[in-house]
Amino acid sequence: MRRAAFASLLVVATAACADADASAFAGDPYGEPLTLTEVTPISTILDAPEEFLGERVLVEGQVVAVCEERGCWVDIASDRQYEKIQIKVDDGVITFPLSMRGRQALVEGTVEKLELTHEQALAAAEERAREHGETFDPSTVTGPETIYRIRGIGALVRDAAATQ
Amino acid sequence: MPPQRSSDDRPRAGVRWRGWNRVLHRTLGYLCAGLTIVYAVSGLAVNHIADWNPNYIIRTDTVTLAPGSAERATSPDFAAEVLSAFDLGGPVVGMYRPEPGRLDVFLDGGAIEVDLVAGEAVYESVRDRPVLRAFNALHLNEPKGVWTLAADLFAVALLLLALTGLFMVKGRKGVGGRGGWYVAAGVVLPLVYLLLLR
Repeated sequence: MRRAAFASLLVVATAACADADASAFAGDPYGEPLTLTEVTPISTILDAPEEFLGERVLVEGQVVAVCEERGCWVDIASDRQYEKIQIKVDDGVITFPLSMRGRQALVEGTVEKLELTHEQALAAAEERAREHGETFDPSTVTGPETIYRIRGIGALVRDAAATQ
Repeated sequence: MPPQRSSDDRPRAGVRWRGWNRVLHRTLGYLCAGLTIVYAVSGLAVNHIADWNPNYIIRTDTVTLAPGSAERATSPDFAAEVLSAFDLGGPVVGMYRPEPGRLDVFLDGGAIEVDLVAGEAVYESVRDRPVLRAFNALHLNEPKGVWTLAADLFAVALLLLALTGLFMVKGRKGVGGRGGWYVAAGVVLPLVYLLLLR
């Protein structure tokens, strides 16, 4: 029973919400008010990102990382295990606090693609490592990278008590 | 009968506008002092964002867990075991498995990253820098809404302070003399730097 409860906690964190209705989601607002009500599962976007390029989507999931320096991006866990997608917001337009980590969020934005050269991918990885206070290992970046992410315009984030 | 003021006694136009200039500069100076300090302190703080975090005090602490953490990771007691290794009471806000060998445990005041393979856990505690975080929020206009208007008014006030400041002193030390050279240096130096950057 307890194992099942534990498993459900993990599943909630990465809950599949196939085209769920988000109108019942309540939380602290960030940025512009949300306009979409139909949630697109992150796994669906990551399965065929090119089909979603430039499209406005609403995604739901657990916030698993936040930009520590400027609060200008968050990572949202996918409904599929070991997956996540980054939500990038314009610097200064929305600032996400570090206290958002672990909470459930509903985020609206446009799917975009970043094509990084090897040098840009190295620089980005180095920046990420620095932000996380980790030692940068250049051998982890082997070549050019294509990143699909969401350019966020607004979000609702549940408080800690509601997330638990 | 009140004494008639002759045309020679009247303050000259130049004297009048200098008086108003002084009043405007002084009043804006007092009004803007507080927010100027807020913006200046925050400016210093965020200017060095590459070297430190101006909003949070982040500390990390590492512990080695008892052997077999990878096997116990799916146990309901595992999060409690990890928390107790750091003498933390919780509550747990959420958990996430970014990869098979890792578990992230999110708490109200931080997060614990557990390397299930190495049996090592790193607790990152996060505490706000209360004053600086508030200063930065105002400086970077995080509240938006009404604060956008307040920040615009402050910017206009700073412009007026700069312009009225140019004419606070007359003569050789004023903008027509030595002061003018200082003003020119203040404009030319950043321009030269920009040219060198190109």
